[in-house]
Amino acid sequence: MAMVIEARGLSKHYGETVAVDSLDLEVPAGALYGLLGPNGSGKSTTIRMLTGQTPASAGTATVLGVDAAADPVGVRRLVGIIPEQETPPSFLTAAEYLRFAGAVRGLDGIEEAAAWWFEFLDFGDKKDVLCKDLSRGTRQKLMFAQAFLHSPRLALIDEPLVNFDPIVQHDVKEFLVDYVRRGNTIFLSTHILEVAEEVCTGFAILHRGRLLATGTPDELREAGRHLPDVFLELVRQDRNHV
Amino acid sequence: MFELFVAMFREEWRIHAVLFGPAMFALLPALIGAMAFMGAFLVPVVNRALPAGDLAAIVHILFLLLGAMVGGFGLVGNEVMNRRFGQASFVAYAARALPLSEQRIFAAFVAKDTVYYLILWILPVIAGVALASPFIGLPPEAVLRLFLSLQLAFLAGLAGLFLATTVYGRSKGAFAGLAVAIVVAVGAFSLASGALPPFPPLAVYRDFSWPVLAGTVAAIGVALAVSLLLFRPQSAGGERRHPDRFTGLRRRLGRLPYPALGAKDLLDLWRSGGGVGQVLFSLLLPLGLCWFLLSLLAPVLPSHGVLLLFAVLAGVLASTMYTWLTAFDTLGAYACLPVGVGDLIRSKLGLFALLQLVPAGVVLGAALLSGGTDVVLPALGLALGVSAWSVGVTVYLAGLSPNVLVYDPRVLLTYLAGVGLPVVVLVVLGLLHPWLGLLALVLIVPAVLVVRSGIRRWEAADSAFF
Repeated sequence: MAMVIEARGLSKHYGETVAVDSLDLEVPAGALYGLLGPNGSGKSTTIRMLTGQTPASAGTATVLGVDAAADPVGVRRLVGIIPEQETPPSFLTAAEYLRFAGAVRGLDGIEEAAAWWFEFLDFGDKKDVLCKDLSRGTRQKLMFAQAFLHSPRLALIDEPLVNFDPIVQHDVKEFLVDYVRRGNTIFLSTHILEVAEEVCTGFAILHRGRLLATGTPDELREAGRHLPDVFLELVRQDRNHV
Repeated sequence: MFELFVAMFREEWRIHAVLFGPAMFALLPALIGAMAFMGAFLVPVVNRALPAGDLAAIVHILFLLLGAMVGGFGLVGNEVMNRRFGQASFVAYAARALPLSEQRIFAAFVAKDTVYYLILWILPVIAGVALASPFIGLPPEAVLRLFLSLQLAFLAGLAGLFLATTVYGRSKGAFAGLAVAIVVAVGAFSLASGALPPFPPLAVYRDFSWPVLAGTVAAIGVALAVSLLLFRPQSAGGERRHPDRFTGLRRRLGRLPYPALGAKDLLDLWRSGGGVGQVLFSLLLPLGLCWFLLSLLAPVLPSHGVLLLFAVLAGVLASTMYTWLTAFDTLGAYACLPVGVGDLIRSKLGLFALLQLVPAGVVLGAALLSGGTDVVLPALGLALGVSAWSVGVTVYLAGLSPNVLVYDPRVLLTYLAGVGLPVVVLVVLGLLHPWLGLLALVLIVPAVLVVRSGIRRWEAADSAFF
């Protein structure tokens, strides 16, 4: 099976602090892959390294066949990204930001796609509002829309659901499942375990920057286990061990 | 209240320490003190060209502007901090979740700024001047008066800015009325007396008396008290709407290497309250002050010396336009897009080149108004060449965070040396013969090389920008 993400010994140190420690990870094409972990476990740092936002201290990462360290802009050209914090430019309006993102990606005629996203995420009434005046939820919707504007084969999305209301969360989950069905891949970082169990086809559990386990919800179901229980057990064991 | 003050004070230190490194930032007062010490020895020399009173006025005006700048940053700095730290949150905002009134938070904020910048700027300056005072014949009581008056000038700027923005926040009409009243009062006084009205902090230095001191302190206290009473926090629910300007701007900037990035930067500049105000306060007013000061030196300068020196200063000030283009940029916004640090720098420099029309226009206007049309070409060459070189050095040293120049002594000294040496050579050449000023255009070549090297340097750095 073709891998869209391959990480070998990927590490990130900030001085004495080890954010990610020798991570080995393979994500197959067509997966909705969940990167799970408590706060501060290294999920966001992993996504930042995979998308070339920050260089790894050690190890390698290949995303869609592109070396993330050697060609970070090349990786970002291919993939869709929702960063950890919703940060659209303060002084563009929501609609202008989508035009901006489209222009930077070299896309023409994004008007139709933008209109679809405004309607799908139900924020068309905010399209002329400056991003700095948008609520967190609306900014998150905007970042979600820009990540999928160019229909990427792979999207790396960091806690995409936290600011959404239950209706939008439901719609977005359906969108993600459908997007993967159409042959694309989603790499989803989250600590909402119920969501991961519901939609993910594979998962990796991180704690203190180290990989504790990988698997699939189907494997857990066959063993009569639930992802939240397994997650809590592993993290607590690791916490006690440390 | 005291705990809030301490938390804000600690936060201010940490912001600067994170931005510029704790060791480097801690060295800043020492650098300021050393510069004040050395500068004090120039006072007798400068006084030959300038009356001592004018020099004192200039120093006090600078501290007034520093106070206004600090106050302004306190009010709009969250945008800049968001840019640097992501979604920044500050003690002032966090305290809103506590049982504290906005007025108390604001009062603690003012107290923090007063003490913080007393330690950071005013005490080092006074220490430097005090050390030099025995050598330049400045009596100890004059140093003490200077300490008081500079602190008051700083507070006057801080209080004036707070008052102006508070009134503006309440009512734009009242703000306009207040501005007109001040202009009319100053104009009337000037017409009647033939001089500008006295600046109270300066009067504390020049003609110290307890009533003058008490009156100055009272005036500042009243301005701060009125600000506190009228202060109304910005409503979080406000939504500013704009029609699409991005598409048209992007089309108009089509000849630039990154039209989309350029259009975004222009909209940032315009909608952040920059635009006309930025040009006025960051370029035209300082240039007006420069022209005034240089005109005082006219008797000791060769023909057209004032215009050529003005062009050099215009070039240095014009290079700060690069700072305008970075100040309100939220770089996290690029984290998900296929652009690198080099793309951003190149885009901003393209726009910077376009914006050079403004200083060029100012120099052209100065040449026309001062009868210097015969040396307008060397003056323009000086302004543009110095600006290009200065921005090149800025890009190399500071990348996309040019405000680091202000607070990191190591970077500041390197910048001053890197820009100062060629500028001194050009000034000497220009004064020897005006047309030698055209040699400044040669600086564009090393400027391009320095920018290229700077881009490589910042692309290789860990992109903490994102």
